[in-house]
Amino acid sequence: MKKYFAVFQINLLNTLAYPAELVTRSGMILIFMWVFFQLWRVTFAASGSNSLNGLTLHDTIWYLLLAETLELGRPRVSRTISDQVKDGSIAYLLNKPYQFLLYELNNGLGESLPRMAMLFVVGGALVWVMAGPPPNLLNWPLAILALAGAWLLHFCTGALIGLAAFVAEEVSPFEWIYQKFVFILGGMLIPIDFYPGWLQAIARILPFSYMMYGPARLFVEPNLQLFIQILLGQAIWLLVLGGSLGLAFSRGMRRLAINGG
Amino acid sequence: MPAILVTNLTKTFRTKHKAAGLGASFRSLFRPEYSPVEAVRGLSFEMEAGELLGFIGPNGAGKSTTIKILTGILFPSSGEVSVLGYVPWKQRRKLAYSIGTVFGQRPQLWYHLPAIDTFTLFGKIYELDDREARKRIAYLSEAFEIADLLETPVRKLSLGQRMRCEVAASLLHKPKLLLLDEPSIGLDVVAKQNIRDAIREMARQENVGVLLTSHDAGDLEALCKRVIIINHGQIVYQDKVSTLKRSFLTSKLVEVRYAEQIPLNFCIPGTETLKVGKERYGAKLRFDTRRTPVERVMADISAAGTLVDITVSDPPLEEVIAMIYQTARRPDMAGQG
Amino acid sequence: MIRELKFLLSLWKTNLASVMEYRVAFLSQSIGMILNDGVYFIVWIIFFDRFKDVRGWQLGDMFLVFGVSASAFGLAGILFGNAFNLGDIIVNGRLDYYLSLPRPTLLHVLASRIVPSGFGDFLYGFISYMASGQFSLGGLGRFVLAVVLATTVFVAFLIIVQSLSFWTGTGGTFTGMAINAMVTFALYPITLFDNAAKFLLFTLVPAAFMGAVPAGFVHASSWSLLGQMALAAVGFLALSILLFQMGLRRYESGSAIQVEV
Repeated sequence: MKKYFAVFQINLLNTLAYPAELVTRSGMILIFMWVFFQLWRVTFAASGSNSLNGLTLHDTIWYLLLAETLELGRPRVSRTISDQVKDGSIAYLLNKPYQFLLYELNNGLGESLPRMAMLFVVGGALVWVMAGPPPNLLNWPLAILALAGAWLLHFCTGALIGLAAFVAEEVSPFEWIYQKFVFILGGMLIPIDFYPGWLQAIARILPFSYMMYGPARLFVEPNLQLFIQILLGQAIWLLVLGGSLGLAFSRGMRRLAINGG
Repeated sequence: MPAILVTNLTKTFRTKHKAAGLGASFRSLFRPEYSPVEAVRGLSFEMEAGELLGFIGPNGAGKSTTIKILTGILFPSSGEVSVLGYVPWKQRRKLAYSIGTVFGQRPQLWYHLPAIDTFTLFGKIYELDDREARKRIAYLSEAFEIADLLETPVRKLSLGQRMRCEVAASLLHKPKLLLLDEPSIGLDVVAKQNIRDAIREMARQENVGVLLTSHDAGDLEALCKRVIIINHGQIVYQDKVSTLKRSFLTSKLVEVRYAEQIPLNFCIPGTETLKVGKERYGAKLRFDTRRTPVERVMADISAAGTLVDITVSDPPLEEVIAMIYQTARRPDMAGQG
Repeated sequence: MIRELKFLLSLWKTNLASVMEYRVAFLSQSIGMILNDGVYFIVWIIFFDRFKDVRGWQLGDMFLVFGVSASAFGLAGILFGNAFNLGDIIVNGRLDYYLSLPRPTLLHVLASRIVPSGFGDFLYGFISYMASGQFSLGGLGRFVLAVVLATTVFVAFLIIVQSLSFWTGTGGTFTGMAINAMVTFALYPITLFDNAAKFLLFTLVPAAFMGAVPAGFVHASSWSLLGQMALAAVGFLALSILLFQMGLRRYESGSAIQVEV
């Protein structure tokens, strides 16, 4: 366990050593949150009511903050892993006395955690000024749990895409498709509550809503029933994606052993 | 009227330095620390039209800086420069029509396209007449033996072939001065020779002046009549290549081969035995000509056995130059150049 | 003038040939970009399906704004592709190559690259315009004019932002943010923004001239709007050239970058 923590630590320090990068991302979230606020402020005002589809303006903006934090700060595993597969350096990593996937998980965590923290704090400051204080602190634990689940789902998907490099020349199309699906079916730019019924139904079946909508929604309105629903959905998809990942990995290992990278 | 006239050229850079870490990064944002780097210090030299001049020096000697100033990309801290009658940094574009440059590490050929496409583009860049350009390309491809390479994408060419195309491209517009910065870097022995021959031939035929900077003394020997050795931003030595060799050569290398085996401690008086062959039929010796006359050594060698083969050579030019870099610091050498 | 035009045409031709060497990559990138733009558009369709209009701005208007912005973005990439990485070129000393050749440096640098996906954006813009329901022959003419002027403002903006690299010594991070801001603001209904914000969008981040104003002009011919766009184009272009020249002087003094001695 200790060695994985060391991996996490090193990546954490590495990420902090490049302040310029963190500043840029923070800048982006400020821009997005500001524009979103303008959009939704006008929309709510035009509708004449305080609450639409169960959400207030305040809820919507904090929802979007969490969604953007996840999107801008999630681990970029697919690129890392696919590069390693393509140039064969994965072989060196496999020679080490640790489990490759756990290694990449900690790597991703070290990179992603400081980013998300910074994004949330910086973006949150602006949102606080514009829309009011964040949801009650008591609500946070549920959201944080769901966030962890969502992060893991992102990791599994990213790793799966990265491992696809064993069979595909270019994995960036898959990364792109995955990102776009999260956009739409994860409710990144608009809370799914505002979607037409049939689209909401589709979103609830697919994993993407559990990767983004889930934690963001729980953050603004923690309700036990929703929580259980989300957690269950995450668990199911974690099993599916995690299982596939394990399979893909062992297949990949066999391929590596045969072809020698 | 010399092609290049440099008087008392000086260039000092202010470089920012920044320690590692977050705190230092913030500090350097608000109060950056600068340290001056004197890249060129009072350099003066001349180059005649059509001359072949070598500019040699170790890394950080000020070669690249000087070349950039000569091409007008950089302007100096002080001093006067005239290249083909232009002040380079003031009349950069006009000068550009009359000079060609080849930077060994910065290719100008478009990587994904055949060389002919870059040539055609260059024709437009230098405003050559279409027909004139075509004739010129044909002529150059013959001179550099690249005619059958022209249609191949540059990325598929070997480094040697690519360099020949690069040099050809730089001569498209019939420049009066060619500046080559490390042209043979990375090339194998044969490729180096090819390109040196081609450059020398072209320079002669077109009366183009060639200013060559290099680490490689071989480039120097093959191409240049005159050499300037530069170190720490100053000229350390300036003379003909032949004079260079003669003045600084104080030792000779001798390789001998005998019909019978020689003892392991084979030694000729007044010489230093560098190596004895594995089968002990031959040896490599070195001696200082100032201490031991050549005649004596030759006599002793012949007397040592039945001489089958003998080779007498100068130490490589690199050694000579390395020595010159060192002697720059000695006051008794300050008079040179 | 004519000389430079001939030179430009030759440069663009060479560029195109280079890009066409990899036909598959070129096509996939262009098509990918069309799809990418389409996805963002789906989000707007969902939004306007639920919220009919935003202070008078409707889905049809979004089609127009998207159209002009996308085509302008694409055209910038096609004709002046290096506008996107001018900062990197400056910081890595790659201007030397262009400086040693007898052609205007800025023009030469900018036009020496084509961003292949730019063709996708450019095409998408036209598709979006045609789908807007406001298509007419006169409109098409105005569309083309609007795109040309919008591209000018956009490229000028890029030059201004990237020229800061002459002084800051860093390449891409700030630029990415600036491009993001520009594109984001251009694609949101301008009716959202109050006067202070609108002022920003006409000056510091001239997104209004890339989206709303050109779209308005395409919607209905107006001398006032045309005048505004032309003025903006000329003004920003002049500023960008001035700033670049100032930066170039600094570059030539050697204090702009870490030089190899």
